[in-house]
Amino acid sequence: MFFICYSQTVYGYSALKMNSVGEGCTELKREYDQCFNRWFAEKFLKGDRSGDPCTEMFKKYQHCVQKAIKEKDIPIDGVEFMGPNKEKRDR
Amino acid sequence: SLIWSYIGYPWETVIKAAMRKYPNPMNPNVVGVDVLDRNLDTDGRLHSHRLLSTEWGLPGIVRAILGTGHTRTYVKEHSIVDPEEKKMELYSTNITLTNLVSVDERLVYRPHPDNPEVTVLTQEAIITVKGVSLSSYLEGMMAHRMSANARKVLL
Repeated sequence: MFFICYSQTVYGYSALKMNSVGEGCTELKREYDQCFNRWFAEKFLKGDRSGDPCTEMFKKYQHCVQKAIKEKDIPIDGVEFMGPNKEKRDR
Repeated sequence: SLIWSYIGYPWETVIKAAMRKYPNPMNPNVVGVDVLDRNLDTDGRLHSHRLLSTEWGLPGIVRAILGTGHTRTYVKEHSIVDPEEKKMELYSTNITLTNLVSVDERLVYRPHPDNPEVTVLTQEAIITVKGVSLSSYLEGMMAHRMSANARKVLL
């Protein structure tokens, strides 16, 4: 067993430094993330079940990301946590 | 093996931060995060499926062994947040280099049962190298070494 204590710096790291897998999608991603993070903190965690206001933004962002995933041939399907059939391809 | 960590912040604070950045401090090489899907289940839990891209910056020799100039690897992550039970689970698995290694991780964030200002994180990693689980491989190695040492003692 190991015990590790995290300082504030670990969790102070800004998500703004994270990019999208699709270079052209980063702006859409950040807009969506901002909307989601606000809903998550102010509504969802407080037990407010009112609708998610970010669906339109998510659709735009997704459209961009799915295109990038196809272009880069990233194998998102077929591999699951502890799944029996992990793709036997080297990438 | 299970790793326990104690974070000096309440659960809500920790998971808000975990949602904003890739939460696994054992992997500082994450360069990209994308949400692939998000939905609420019938129990009111939030499921998120994310794609993480990592850049290893591997030394040249390792790249030569891997037979690739690409050092970008991808991980799929499924997280489940239960705001009533105050539990966040994350399951991640690599979707590239799967013919060499499989790294499956499970993280669970929960409030400390005795102290609401503290969050408990448990991490489990199941690493499989070339079809043999890492723990079996290590056990095999240990057994081999132990029997070799035993032979030395007896002689």
